[in-house]
Amino acid sequence: MNPLGEKYLRKDFLPFLFCPGCGDGMIVQAFLQAVDDLGCVDDLALTAGIGCSAWIGVYMHVDILKVLHGRAIPAAIGIKATNPSRKVVTFTGDGDCLAIGGNHLLHAARRNIDMTVVMVNNQIYAMTGGQVAPSTAVGSKTQTTPYGNLERQLNGCKVAIAAGATMVSRWSTAHPKQLIKTFKKALNHKGFSFIEIMSQCPVQTGRYLLGSGSPQFNFQWLKDHCMKEEDPSKWAEIEAQGNIPVGDFLQVEQPEFMAEVARMNQRVKEAQAKGGDR
Amino acid sequence: MKGAERIEIDRRYCKGCMLCKYICPCDVYDLGQERSDLDYLMPHVARIENCKVCGLCEQHCPDMVLTVVAKKKGKEKE
Ligand SMILES: Cc1ncc(C[n+]2csc(CCOP(=O)(O)OP(=O)(O)O)c2C)c(N)n1
Ligand code: SF4
Ligand code: SF4
Ligand SMILES: [Mg+2]
Repeated sequence: MNPLGEKYLRKDFLPFLFCPGCGDGMIVQAFLQAVDDLGCVDDLALTAGIGCSAWIGVYMHVDILKVLHGRAIPAAIGIKATNPSRKVVTFTGDGDCLAIGGNHLLHAARRNIDMTVVMVNNQIYAMTGGQVAPSTAVGSKTQTTPYGNLERQLNGCKVAIAAGATMVSRWSTAHPKQLIKTFKKALNHKGFSFIEIMSQCPVQTGRYLLGSGSPQFNFQWLKDHCMKEEDPSKWAEIEAQGNIPVGDFLQVEQPEFMAEVARMNQRVKEAQAKGGDR
Repeated sequence: MKGAERIEIDRRYCKGCMLCKYICPCDVYDLGQERSDLDYLMPHVARIENCKVCGLCEQHCPDMVLTVVAKKKGKEKE
């Protein structure tokens, strides 16, 4: 176990349940590096839904709520509402976040809740055996689309931007250095941060979408297809070539929901003290 | 020049994915013949003298089993 693992992992939960060469373990490490650099482990609270990627947070020695499929974001909002001093981080998959939990993503972003959503995108439902996800490309053959996927792809970052997220980034497991930097930015960002991580799943994505179960092949695919481009007006061109723009796309300041609630409470209290009610 | 004293591989958790060998720019690893406790063939540190302690293998290892231990300063010539 490397020193970061020694310091932060739950030893009695090891080994990781991830398959050999899975990107999810790389994300555990990158996240822990960011937490270690900031020295903020005691401030964290994590939530996770269901899926391989939902296990990322479970291995860290940090308070975590592991909840129903798709419901990790509302659980995180609950923690933030009752304990605003916590840095709340949700680990979720492309299925968990964009399919069954899609509605929660929209409204947490819209309200600019001070939390970080880490969406691990392996372009498929991995844990359950390789079914089509909203993130799966048109035409792809998966377990549930043997004749090719007819549904258009949902782009998590564009959804987050449109819904009002105040920090949006996308990297891949082939970008650990950039990812660590972005994790640190998100942990200090006051508002809703959405980080999408393109990650290799040699077993299901490899089998169904990329045609090889080799961790090396699947990792190299990310290296070859993820291109740094932070200007949204250039994304269409990159995407038309079958590539994926990565980078830090957006960071702005907007009123944060829980802080606004506290301000409202204060205002109402003051009004009530004067005999009014608002 | 920077060098590694040793590279530790935690045999309890190694799954033999061999991404370390793929990622290493200095050709330090081979596929070994020894099996980990999880029954996967582990990487073998075949050319430690090539290691530049860049940390890429450790940083990318999906099971966090690698520890690259740098030579202490002034010990290079030993
Ligand atoms: C309510 C409910 N519906 C369906 C499932 C089955 N299920 C478990 S994980 C999963 C998909 C997870 O996909 P994703 O979020 O992309 O995670 P990955 O395994 O790919 O990391 C599904 C459909 C479930 N556990 N609960
Ligand atoms: S099925 Fe895919 S995503 Fe899930 S642990 Fe295995 S390699 Fe990782
Ligand atoms: S630290 Fe760098 S040079 Fe040394 S074995 Fe790892 S990847 Fe190779
Ligand atoms: Mg998935």
